[in-house]
Amino acid sequence: MSADDGELSQGSAADYEDDDDAFADDTACLNAAEHVVVPRAAYQCFGAVEVRAKQSEAIARVVAVLQVNTDEATQLLRTFKWNVNTVNEEWFADEERVRTSAGLLPRDADASEPEPERVVRCGVCFEDFSADASTNPGCRHDFCGECWRGYLENAVDNGPSCLDARCPHEGCGARVTEALARRFLSDAAAEKLSTFQWRSWVDDNPRVKWCVGPGCERSVQIDVVRGERPVDVTCHCGTSFCWQCQEQAHRPVDCETVRKWLIKNSAESENMNWILANTKPCPECKRPIEKSMGCMHMTCSQCQYQFCWMCQGKWADHGERTGGFYACNTYEKEKKYTKNFSEDEKRRALAKSSLERYMHYYERWLAHGSSQVKAVNDLKEMTESKIARLGDLQNTPASQLKFVMDALEQIAECRRVLKWTYGYGFYNMEDDGMKKKFFEYIQADAEVGLERLTKAVETDLEEFFHEEKTAEEFDTFRGVLTGLTSVTAKYFKTLVTELEEGLPGVESEAVDAAGGGKKPGVLTRLAAAGGGAGK
Amino acid sequence: MASKRICKELQDLQKDPPTSCSAGPRADDDIFHWDATIIGPADSPYQGGLFFVAIHFPPDYPFKPPKVNFKTRVYHPNVNSQGSICLDILKEQWSPALTISKVLLSICSLLTDPNPDDPLVPEIAQIYKTDRGRYEELAKEWTRKYAM
Repeated sequence: MSADDGELSQGSAADYEDDDDAFADDTACLNAAEHVVVPRAAYQCFGAVEVRAKQSEAIARVVAVLQVNTDEATQLLRTFKWNVNTVNEEWFADEERVRTSAGLLPRDADASEPEPERVVRCGVCFEDFSADASTNPGCRHDFCGECWRGYLENAVDNGPSCLDARCPHEGCGARVTEALARRFLSDAAAEKLSTFQWRSWVDDNPRVKWCVGPGCERSVQIDVVRGERPVDVTCHCGTSFCWQCQEQAHRPVDCETVRKWLIKNSAESENMNWILANTKPCPECKRPIEKSMGCMHMTCSQCQYQFCWMCQGKWADHGERTGGFYACNTYEKEKKYTKNFSEDEKRRALAKSSLERYMHYYERWLAHGSSQVKAVNDLKEMTESKIARLGDLQNTPASQLKFVMDALEQIAECRRVLKWTYGYGFYNMEDDGMKKKFFEYIQADAEVGLERLTKAVETDLEEFFHEEKTAEEFDTFRGVLTGLTSVTAKYFKTLVTELEEGLPGVESEAVDAAGGGKKPGVLTRLAAAGGGAGK
Repeated sequence: MASKRICKELQDLQKDPPTSCSAGPRADDDIFHWDATIIGPADSPYQGGLFFVAIHFPPDYPFKPPKVNFKTRVYHPNVNSQGSICLDILKEQWSPALTISKVLLSICSLLTDPNPDDPLVPEIAQIYKTDRGRYEELAKEWTRKYAM
């Protein structure tokens, strides 16, 4: 494909699809490395230089085929969303109509005599002035220089729509040519115009979107737009986002659910943040408790009751049954209200329970979100300083330490997926059915698997920074970590697919399982992928 | 630029006044605020009414459109109770080649031919579309009440 890059030859006109791969070789975006959980759609990431090059290439192709000038070709491409094929098709189907809608002059207009200088009245300030060929965009509606400047600067201030500025004369659709605009615009405004021009390739192109990273000027093009399905992409700047809805990357959850979830969060978050950030009553003595530091294992300073900060359940109940100490993911709305409460309290409790159900999911979504942020920071710290130190300590070249980065990258990715499983659960697991049980089971399984990988990095790896270790020990660690990374990756990958499909077959298979002791398919598939908790 | 152009328009209006409306600065020392009057078009329920209109020119007139508001209450699908007018040439269709005189004439034709498909007051548009008689009755009543 790259062989065609420079070619503007006609004949193979239908190469819009192909030419997009022009940069695939040298700039292909974050390689769909095997350890990444969510399978990457094919996409490419472009910087400003590449965008300009692609733009020039498209323009050159239109110029060559349609025999129009560069400015006209640019306008045509913008009108037809930077699709060279559409421009060609529309143009050859009905050139006059295309010219009118794009504001290009009729073909024979160019052939007319050069206009002599003449004194005319400006249609804006109503003053007489000396007009020439460059005081109108070819439609003979002349305006004086000062009015052109005022008109065009105002248009530029209004944003990228200035690229389609038309003759100010009432009812005249002639487009202001770039040459005319540049003749009258101030330097600052001309600069803005140039920016709008190159950015238009992204702004007006349905297959390309800007990276949402703060201050990032790159754009991402996906090769095939597949309906409304979420498409997670990662820009060269490191920002991951959903190409479809421009929110943070959120597979396995669909864009609509994410939208609802984020709106809900912003509506409730002020109250919620205060409640979450500040207090919880002790489940035993009801004194308000502020969690200022430490883990989820809380001990009331007054009554000495030990409980879990996440679920406010008794700490002693936290073990295998809830998926391990740090994998408290089971939401039981009745848990706290079974003990000798008055009718009044029960009623109040019931009213609170819908809010609490939401809180349950929101808290965990938030917690995994901050873990995700931490994981990304860890990765950054590792890349910037720690990896070199580790290389020195272990006498290993940095290139051989990629497995550490892979593990950290994997953790960040898994945190992200885990975070969104809570958004998923809130909307998709409303009934306490078999599906919900399975969902929570595999979610807990995933959490355990991820915690194991996290521990390997946070605890085991740290030892290599502080203690004398032999090369053999390091090699063993390398093997263990590489294995864990790959197992976790596979597990999460299957998890994402299963959730996206809506946990197919769980209800019926669960019945089979109850009767015949057969394992449900989801679990079999997950087990095949590496079984998170290894239960 | 703005004040020069506004003066030109004023001169033109005085030289060749339109039949159905008049306009001029509210005070001698402020050319950017005008008052205008529109005579209710003969073939409309606004006939016989005299409608006051306030015009405010932005500093970058004519590259930005003037702000035009009814000061007299009007029962019309495209004019709300604040006097705001929904008219394309006062918004995205504005061109610096347009003038106040053309704007006022456009408002006159809007009075004659409301645009119920792009309404500012949906209730009035609804009545206009479903019960033209009722609309005309109400418009006439408002004209008698507020514009005479």
